[in-house]
Amino acid sequence: MMMDCENVRKSLGAFLDEELNRSEAERIRMHAQGCPSCLAEKEQLERLQASLKSVLEGRASGVAFGPFWDGVRRRILEKKPWTARLWDWLRPALYPERLAWAIPVAIVLLLGIVSLEQFLPGWRGGSNRGNTTAVDSIDGHGFNVAVFRESKTKTTVIWLYENQEEEDESAAEPASPDTSF
Amino acid sequence: MELSDWELVRKCQEGESEAFQELVARYHRKVFLVVVGILNHREDAMEVAQETFFRAYKNIKGFKGGAAFYTWLYRIAVNLSIDFQRRQKRSATEYRETMDDLTDKGEGTELANDPYVDLQSKELGERLLAAINELTPDHKAVIVMRAVEGLSYKDMGRILGCSEGTVMSRLHYARKKLQEKLAPFI
Amino acid sequence: MNLLRNPLRRTLLFSFWLLLLAGNVAAAEKGQQAVQLIIGTILASNESEDFDSKLSKMKNQLEVIKYRSYRLIKEESQKVPWLGNAAFEIPGGRTLTVVPQEYRNNRLALKVRLQDGEKPLLDTTVRIRNRGNFLLGGPAHEGGVLILSISGMTQ
Repeated sequence: MMMDCENVRKSLGAFLDEELNRSEAERIRMHAQGCPSCLAEKEQLERLQASLKSVLEGRASGVAFGPFWDGVRRRILEKKPWTARLWDWLRPALYPERLAWAIPVAIVLLLGIVSLEQFLPGWRGGSNRGNTTAVDSIDGHGFNVAVFRESKTKTTVIWLYENQEEEDESAAEPASPDTSF
Repeated sequence: MELSDWELVRKCQEGESEAFQELVARYHRKVFLVVVGILNHREDAMEVAQETFFRAYKNIKGFKGGAAFYTWLYRIAVNLSIDFQRRQKRSATEYRETMDDLTDKGEGTELANDPYVDLQSKELGERLLAAINELTPDHKAVIVMRAVEGLSYKDMGRILGCSEGTVMSRLHYARKKLQEKLAPFI
Repeated sequence: MNLLRNPLRRTLLFSFWLLLLAGNVAAAEKGQQAVQLIIGTILASNESEDFDSKLSKMKNQLEVIKYRSYRLIKEESQKVPWLGNAAFEIPGGRTLTVVPQEYRNNRLALKVRLQDGEKPLLDTTVRIRNRGNFLLGGPAHEGGVLILSISGMTQ
């Protein structure tokens, strides 16, 4: 019985709104007739609905057509600047509740940047930036090897000291301050 | 003979602005009721209701008549109201001021002549509006559309872009909240 | 999603996805094409102050290596498929072998070997930007040193 009451109460609103099918509505009606608490609940809902209607409808009593239409017509005749129209268009998408889209958009943008790189290699910077080289592995087969990277021109130099004896006298001394080896 | 909504819409689409004026005359009060129910602020509601008709006017050529004109119009109104409210988040203080304004001007509930009933109704009205104000915009929208317009779940689903089941559960939840808040008064 | 209700926004998003798709298709096509390798052999020395005008585009890079004179003695270009071998003769009986390995994130991975006759001098794997280069220097030659500018590009 208790469980039934619970189910009936869940459907009472829809029953009063006449949104239930005939058999379901009949079941609720029959139950309410024999169940004082559900009947009380139904009556309370009816009073609530009546109060809502009365209170809310009372609020439109002061709305005259003339001034209302004037306001609408003013908007129609008013030419908004393009910035205002753009903002009107964008604004709804920027409310915090709707910012959920920002995550996929960020991902899409990231992918877009990667894709743009395929179309326009080096678009993010000048030729210097595009010159950065990464050295994955290096083997000098017994010779000394150095890797120099010059930050200003982003030049990477691999230097092979082929002749150990000449090494100290060599003028080949890259000037990079951020030498890496 | 009174033209149907669709006939007026067709005339608007052909450039007859008087037809649009007729549509505004037909629906301004209803739209305002829905909007003020959601926003609980007369001046804001007036702005949003007027903006609703302006948007409808701008987009009327795109209205194909697949749905009833009023569901299309309410959809604009409800979306604008929800957006507006999310933007504003008006304080309870402002709400009270609005209520005071209303009751001072005699624009509140339909009051009975008996002073006791008068007072009781006024209190219920205030509490009811305060309780509605605490609902989420989506819940307010269904409560208001159902109470004021008696719209079907199907129409409300179309307006809000959700299923009838969602409308039903939103209404159930919203009413339950209102019942809890107003139990001693109803 | 409300964002998708508006036809204009829907179109914009769709266009953006198309752009992405096209970019990735282009990248995939690019991955299948050959690599153009260009090896410039430069002799750097301190015997004069001459700077070869043919190297003017590389002047900033070469200034990193503090020699006084730079002369381009050879420039050779080869088109090579991915994982194919490209051998370049370097003055002094040396050979430079370059194997383009992969193209990813706008970078070409190149496996590079420098050898003197049969004797390997250096093995390295580098990743250069498409159309970028790096310098490999050190081997002695005619009173100076050789600097190899190794660059690669794919379409």
